[in-house]
Amino acid sequence: MSKATTVNTEPRPSARLSRVVLTLSGLLVLAALASLLWGAGEVGPARALAALAGHGDEEARFVVGTLRLPRTLIGIAVGLALGVAGALLQAVSRNPLAEPGLLGVSAGAAFAVAVALWLGASAATLRVAVAQLGALVGCVGVMSVVRLRGLGDDPVRLVLAGAAFSALLASLTSLLLLFDQRTADEIRFWVVGSLAGRRLDDLVAVLPSLALALAVTGLIARPLAALALGERVASGLGHRPGRVRALVVVAVALLVGGATAIAGPIAFVGLVVPFAARALAGPDIRRTLWLCLPLGPLMVLAADVVSRLVVAPSELPLGVLTALVGAPVLVAVVRARRLPTL
Amino acid sequence: MSLSLPKTPLLAGACLATALAVAVGSAQARTLDTAQGKLEVPDAPERVVTLYEGALDASLAAGVMPVGAVTTRGGDDVARYLEAYLDEARPAVVGVVREINMEAVVGERPDVILAGPSLADAQYALLSKIAPTVVPQSPGVTPQAWKTEARQYGQALGREDAVNAAIDDVEARAAELAERVGVADIGATANLVRWMPQGPLVMSDRLFSAGLLAAVGLEVDDAGLINGRGAHSDPLSLENLSKLQGDWLFLATLNEEGEEALVSAKDSPAFARLPVVENDRVVPVDGQLWTSANGPLAAEAILDDIEAALVP
Amino acid sequence: MSDTLSMPHRDDAERLGAPVGERVAPPPGCWRLARGERHLLIERRALGVGLLLLAVLLAASLAYLCLGQQSLSPAGAFSALRGEGDAMAVFVVQELRLPRLLAAWLTGAAFALAGCLMQTLARNRLATPGIIGIDNGATAFSVASVVGLGVSLAPPAMAMVGAATAAAITFGVASGGDTRGYRFIVAGIGIGAVFGAVTQLLLARVDIDTANAAYPWTVGTLNARSSGAVTGLALGLALAGPLAIALARSLSLMRFGDAVARGLGVELRRRRVQVLALSVLLTALAVAVAGPVGMVALIGPEIARSLASPRGVPLTASALAGALVMVLADLTGRLLLAPIELPVGIVTAVVGGPWLLWILLRTAKRTSP
Repeated sequence: MSKATTVNTEPRPSARLSRVVLTLSGLLVLAALASLLWGAGEVGPARALAALAGHGDEEARFVVGTLRLPRTLIGIAVGLALGVAGALLQAVSRNPLAEPGLLGVSAGAAFAVAVALWLGASAATLRVAVAQLGALVGCVGVMSVVRLRGLGDDPVRLVLAGAAFSALLASLTSLLLLFDQRTADEIRFWVVGSLAGRRLDDLVAVLPSLALALAVTGLIARPLAALALGERVASGLGHRPGRVRALVVVAVALLVGGATAIAGPIAFVGLVVPFAARALAGPDIRRTLWLCLPLGPLMVLAADVVSRLVVAPSELPLGVLTALVGAPVLVAVVRARRLPTL
Repeated sequence: MSLSLPKTPLLAGACLATALAVAVGSAQARTLDTAQGKLEVPDAPERVVTLYEGALDASLAAGVMPVGAVTTRGGDDVARYLEAYLDEARPAVVGVVREINMEAVVGERPDVILAGPSLADAQYALLSKIAPTVVPQSPGVTPQAWKTEARQYGQALGREDAVNAAIDDVEARAAELAERVGVADIGATANLVRWMPQGPLVMSDRLFSAGLLAAVGLEVDDAGLINGRGAHSDPLSLENLSKLQGDWLFLATLNEEGEEALVSAKDSPAFARLPVVENDRVVPVDGQLWTSANGPLAAEAILDDIEAALVP
Repeated sequence: MSDTLSMPHRDDAERLGAPVGERVAPPPGCWRLARGERHLLIERRALGVGLLLLAVLLAASLAYLCLGQQSLSPAGAFSALRGEGDAMAVFVVQELRLPRLLAAWLTGAAFALAGCLMQTLARNRLATPGIIGIDNGATAFSVASVVGLGVSLAPPAMAMVGAATAAAITFGVASGGDTRGYRFIVAGIGIGAVFGAVTQLLLARVDIDTANAAYPWTVGTLNARSSGAVTGLALGLALAGPLAIALARSLSLMRFGDAVARGLGVELRRRRVQVLALSVLLTALAVAVAGPVGMVALIGPEIARSLASPRGVPLTASALAGALVMVLADLTGRLLLAPIELPVGIVTAVVGGPWLLWILLRTAKRTSP
């Protein structure tokens, strides 16, 4: 199984890797530009471009500067967080299906926010803290329950446990809906992930924890790669597997909780992005993480632009679109002749 | 014939049997035309159960205190605006609109049941075994439908005159308000909106409350976003908020904190730059009243809101 | 997580699979009924468990008929059943409680039987039709019908179409039942997630009144059942129940692993497809009556398994336990917050949730080295 996987123990960021990262970054810039130029409203690309150049009409400047720019920034942050979280979770569980949404981590965050809304909370900062706490509980719960170590050879059980966990949280949310329908009306809209109407303040509130999580990720990338060779090898190289796993849990909780707090639950980004990254760069977690940095935002921004255009003048929630993209990828992973292990 | 039955304290069986007999067999029964065909109802029903906001409103307007009623949508009791018409005698809750508790209805031993226009056939079949069940013939979702429905509820209660008088009062008051609004020259259009974090829902111009706004001279403009389907639009993209070009904006919330919703809406830069916000012509209103209720009493309460906001 | 189904001993397998000659003594704990060439092994414990569950179910059903907004004594409930006594008691028992009780029996049995079948097939206690997204498909379709997306079928029919569609898509993309049906499960979770997103989308776009009308289809309730759907379920259960029992022997062999089952003459691929089809059919019919009450598919077989002997697959016991859970849950929902009724789906979720966690935790403990 994974012990046989050849991992380059001393990889240099090869020329090819940097080329791929550069290309993807270029695409990301294009996606960000598209996100600024197209929207569900009447400000089309020409007017938006003029506004970007500093001389558009007032309406266009408002739409681009006050609505689309924050939204684009939020999309980048959410994509980054979810992509990296997925890669980490998959690496530590050696399971290509371990996705924060499928495992119930996002459901934990969403449920915590629903409870907070129900209790009457509305302050943005509180929501962030609550979502991250919920994600942490969800993450620790799923991980301790399924004992990641034993699951290298059986990815499906982990996913089943996650699905059951998500189902549980979904029914508890229904219970809240039953008791308080006024809040329910707000939750009803909130449980569908979306970038629409989210505020820059929310992003600012989340940024420190996202930065912290990325720093932690940078620290544990190397031990994680060693862990992929097996527990003993990692210990022999001087890493402590237990501590590495704990740090992964914290990082994933911060990332997913933060993303969920700004945008609501958005499934499948954490599955699709690492999947694509591995396809491009191979299984080494250090390379995968590099690729996830541009790929996550790229996927979220592209999906968001599409979500604005298909049903204008309204918008499609982002979570629906990512589910539509993600489900086929999920099936593709499973349809692979043997379930690949990491 | 069972002898053991009357021992159960909660049982009020004999009364129900009598009530059923009165309802069906009485010589004093009248015949109504309902959406479910001809229906015999007792001359002056005393135990009325209402399963629809409009029916409760019309009964209270007719001076009949129902013995049972469903809660307002999204609440756990009848709508707040009705509190003024209730005292110690208030209807027992017999479920919520989406789930009527049949046993609770039976327990109230009604002699007539007033249901909403869209009662399911299966439920009608069950309810009409308990008591004659009035399903009004409704012209559909139009601003004036409530009058037709209220008059039929009035007929069912044998108090058509009282309901007609209440409706006349509403019309007279609306006409008087329309004149004052016209004199004040404060605009001729309005938007009716529910604020959601993702964006506002624009409410249809065919709603009950929209009809009242029109009656006082404010045409409700749904900005072409609804296309005749449903009671409101999809959540509008914030980029399209500038389509709300009415002179007034009525902001409905389902919770009591209307002002809070206004504050949260003003947090959004796209909302804050609307002309109505800059002119301070945004009126927070109770969604229970403005988007769920209908009937003569609701109309009066809405006209109160309009008067207080437009021509204080 | 280890294999969570209790595994019988190998010698049991040989005994079950071995040709049983005339003079072979019945296995311990069994009665053997023989008539000429044909013979039948009746396991005493299974019989006892079945009778026990049946007795508890009948007691719960009596309580169901007696309790509510209008309470009746057991004697009163019986006479009302016969149409005697006062009009109100007769109405409450015959028109309100009895049909709902029957619906609870049928849906509980169908959900639990479907759950037991799929769990056995996947050799995992969490693999129920609800968890792998079949309920989600049903919900999405019936909600689409309620919010009026230009479909003409009634919500119960749409629920059935939805369940079948979700299962068919899943089956299609998973290209049939592979080893243990695992591909099927994961594909189902993915397809279920898509249907779940679609449901959320539909609900978020309609006004609150329509969302309320769709609500029963999102949580599961016995209050708004249609009599046509109940009849359909009764017929389906009458058909699928015996078929499931007929598959019981293959099922109990399939638990040992593919090689053993194949060696003992089980046509694995065909059996898998049959079991899946039965499970989906039962779920679809039950969802059409009560909406997604998927938790019963988890709790019912779990109770049955904890009572029954590990030798066979407790199909009958699962169905009885499922019916029992449904009756008790709906009774609780009717009484707890009266006069407001709690939908049965909420009650089973609140009870089943901690149960689910317990299963996950207990399993984890058992696996940990």
